[in-house]
Amino acid sequence: MALNSTLYNAIFKRTSTFVLLAMASTFFFERTFDLSAESIFRSVNQGKLYEDIKKEE
Amino acid sequence: MIKTGNFSKLIKSTSQVVSNSYKTSNKAAVIGKKDVTQPPTLLLTNGNLAKSLPTGNFYVCSGPGVTTQVRFAHTDINVPDWSSYRRQDKKSTESEDTRKNFTYLIAGAGTVGGAYAAKSVVTHFISSMSASADVLAMAKIEVKLSDIPEGKSVTFKWRGKPLFIRHRTGSEISTEQGVPLSQLRDPESDSQRTQKPEWLVVIGVCTHLGCVPIANAGDFGGYYCPCHGSHYDASGRIRKGPAPLNLEVPTYVFADDGSLVVG
Amino acid sequence: MAATVGRICAGAGLLKTSNGAVFNQINAFSTTREWSKGRRMVLATVGALAGGAGALMFALDQSVKASDLELHPPKNPWSHSGLINSLDHSSVRRGYEVYKQVCAACHSMKYIAYRNLIGVSHTEDEAKAEAAEMMVTDGPDEAGNMFQRPGKLSDYFPNPYANEEAARAANNGAFPPDLSYIVSARHGGEDYIFSLLTGYCDAPAGIVLREGQYYNPYFPGGAISMAQALYNEVLEYEDGTPATASQLAKDVATFLKWTAEPEHDDRKRMLIKAAGMFSFLLVVTYYLKRHKWTNIKTRKIEFKPRK
Repeated sequence: MALNSTLYNAIFKRTSTFVLLAMASTFFFERTFDLSAESIFRSVNQGKLYEDIKKEE
Repeated sequence: MIKTGNFSKLIKSTSQVVSNSYKTSNKAAVIGKKDVTQPPTLLLTNGNLAKSLPTGNFYVCSGPGVTTQVRFAHTDINVPDWSSYRRQDKKSTESEDTRKNFTYLIAGAGTVGGAYAAKSVVTHFISSMSASADVLAMAKIEVKLSDIPEGKSVTFKWRGKPLFIRHRTGSEISTEQGVPLSQLRDPESDSQRTQKPEWLVVIGVCTHLGCVPIANAGDFGGYYCPCHGSHYDASGRIRKGPAPLNLEVPTYVFADDGSLVVG
Repeated sequence: MAATVGRICAGAGLLKTSNGAVFNQINAFSTTREWSKGRRMVLATVGALAGGAGALMFALDQSVKASDLELHPPKNPWSHSGLINSLDHSSVRRGYEVYKQVCAACHSMKYIAYRNLIGVSHTEDEAKAEAAEMMVTDGPDEAGNMFQRPGKLSDYFPNPYANEEAARAANNGAFPPDLSYIVSARHGGEDYIFSLLTGYCDAPAGIVLREGQYYNPYFPGGAISMAQALYNEVLEYEDGTPATASQLAKDVATFLKWTAEPEHDDRKRMLIKAAGMFSFLLVVTYYLKRHKWTNIKTRKIEFKPRK
């Protein structure tokens, strides 16, 4: 409960802090999302990608 | 949002305080003295429906001083039972922050996702404005330096312009390095214009009116522009004639395998 | 606010509340009301019959269409045919070898440059070496003459013929098409390429081939001017894969799929991101919609008419 009210008063109450938090998390989210999408693609296509044939040489 | 009802009260009160000659009245709707109720028509046909529409002149008064909404306070309607919608276990004020946080968290997650999507759209559009891959592939030229003998100036085509690469002899280097800057129209020392003293790389466009100079010609042994007689020395600097500036030096790097990459 | 907007719209005539009146007006202009009931019945029947007959004829025509004797290629299980399945890049690399040693003798590929191979099937140094193997006419030089120089990364794949007329003259009047976008340009795509390359057979009775023509059931019309090009062991692969005819055909079809759609892998990468992002946003939007509408949806309006 205390945590919730702290969180609300610290961030969500003011639009400025809300937007700031959103922008900061976008920065991290972008990296994680791109990396996870890439890792899905890699795991699905293991052995077929250019990186795989480059390693053989 | 301004409620016209509240506002009109305000106006009415002020007009009553300030006495003037105008007769203040608040005519929102004129209600007849006698209520004539007509039996409701059954709206079953097109014709009936059309007749039920107002046909004569139809006025609606509006503005800040006029109440246009009429509300009827009912005492004969019981407030419905909302108990099934209420939280039974605790007071709503206790869980207020938790509920707000949850919704704001979802809204924040949506903002993050939207910002990510918007950013990738914008970057895609902006990157489509940059030079395409085939243009970039043509923008660099790689020259094997071992093909150019000492004392010769070789011309290449680079970005649609002639490019002079000159393998200078030792005497040319010492002459050019010994030229005092006070003699020059566009003072630049030879070391400023070359990365390695043996190699001079300049764009072969005369700075006067854009002709292509001739190599190993002119009074200074460098380049000579036949159009209006501009003489450049072996460092591509203007020495005599109408041209105002030295020949332009493009950006270039010496690759480690004995070749030169211009661009 | 809403009331004001409503007032303005109704006052300006933007919102028409009486559709019935307009409908009546339109009806008044119609001449069909003057028709007799029998006439209306006849016309409606004729119209329905004509439409039905037309649809039937179209359906019959579609079902018996046999205007050309053409075998449609079967769907093959390509390793890149899934929603997020990338091209097999080792197959693309082998397919380039097949193209270079077999197809390039007659077919051009003018939209693919050697630099495109970098990061797809070859490293930069390998692509440079591939480019340097061919000679390109460049120029003019200072003296105004064209000269030959070894290829560079920015050069496009060479054309085996100087122009279309030369190509026709060398191939019995048939023009070997440019292969850059051939997979997108033919029905059946890479399946068609594979079937065509492996589908050569003797002409059935009744089919007359001119000199220099071969029979291939997958080719529209059956008579193709290209001889069978892929046989077992027609070349040796760099990576030691057994070079059977079907392996060659599969690899070159994969290579041609890449040349026709160089963005293939990026597109499928993008699908993962777009599908993930949009499904996430859909859930969020649905929650927020429910949140914003709860006050309206949980409202009760009670109306008691005057007795």
